[in-house]
Amino acid sequence: MSPIPLPVSRGWSSLLSRLKLRHCRVVGATPTVLGRVWIHGPGEVRVGHRVVLDGREAPIELHAMRGGCIVLGDDVTIEGGASLEALQSITIGAGARLGAFCKVMDNQHHPLRGNRHERPASVPLVVEAGVTVGPRAILLPGAHVQRGATVAAGTVISRRIPPAVTVGGSPPRVLRREVA
Amino acid sequence: MSTRIVPAPLTSVVAQVQELRDAVGHRAQRALAVARARWLFRSLQSVGRNVAAYGAMRVENEGTVELGDRLTFVGGMMPGSLVCHAGARLVIGSDVQFNYGISLESWESVQIGARCMFASFVRIADRDGHTKAPIVIEDDVWVAHGAIIMPGVRVGARSVVAAGSVVTHDVPPDTLAMGNPARNMSMELVSRETGT
Repeated sequence: MSPIPLPVSRGWSSLLSRLKLRHCRVVGATPTVLGRVWIHGPGEVRVGHRVVLDGREAPIELHAMRGGCIVLGDDVTIEGGASLEALQSITIGAGARLGAFCKVMDNQHHPLRGNRHERPASVPLVVEAGVTVGPRAILLPGAHVQRGATVAAGTVISRRIPPAVTVGGSPPRVLRREVA
Repeated sequence: MSTRIVPAPLTSVVAQVQELRDAVGHRAQRALAVARARWLFRSLQSVGRNVAAYGAMRVENEGTVELGDRLTFVGGMMPGSLVCHAGARLVIGSDVQFNYGISLESWESVQIGARCMFASFVRIADRDGHTKAPIVIEDDVWVAHGAIIMPGVRVGARSVVAAGSVVTHDVPPDTLAMGNPARNMSMELVSRETGT
């Protein structure tokens, strides 16, 4: 038996989670933060209810740069090593899961041609409700993963993914469709 | 009559401190990074001027490693690694930028040109268990997040390797390589289609 009674220890871990999320603009009810979460940049980060951020194996990075906005919906689960970088907006819908070492960015940071040190325009990135993103997947600007879709491990996405499909491979293609 | 020092409003003091911190902090970090690089890369044969490492790195050198001037190794969630095995050669040109979690491994020869950019979690190794062949990366190449460069590949000047791709064949100059295995595409066509 732990010397601290359970409700108190739970209260303590919830308090610790809130402490780790203190740089967020909005934090919903009962967040669970394990391990390290880095929240930096002058932009704003909004976190919904009951999110689970598991940064035990590697830190989770939520980087909202100037004018950027990261919105995590309710019941979002993010595993360790995931990195979200927003210059404009990244929206993660309710119940979505991001796997370990995912990279989600709404700006390429360098243009394909011309001066590599200029920053190209951002394209808002949306992950809708109930989406599962596999480990080491990369979501590039313009990615719009619709409701209930699954992105397989290591897939690179930069366009709209229709609802309730599984995409995988490189270049990505639809592997499976959910039969309604 | 007594003269009294009028206390400056707290907000202005805070703003000044913040300003000072912004001005000095950057340079302090830079100085620390240069000092860290000097310590980390002490076993290398030649290290250029103004090499900076902003985070932890794993450096193992039993061969010959030559680093150019003004390199930047950015720190982050994972330490980078730079490994050169016995009898191997690893040459990096000037003005190259490396993001965190990079993995450079040389068993025979890896050459990287000037002004290249390497994003996080890029892996470059010239041995994969089957083959051992030298890798050459020419000038001004941009390798995006999580790309893997396989042995025996020559990436041409000004080319771009897209995020998450696995490059198994040579990439000509001014080309975009993407996919697994990486297909070469004209940068003209891609940039016209995507508007970048």
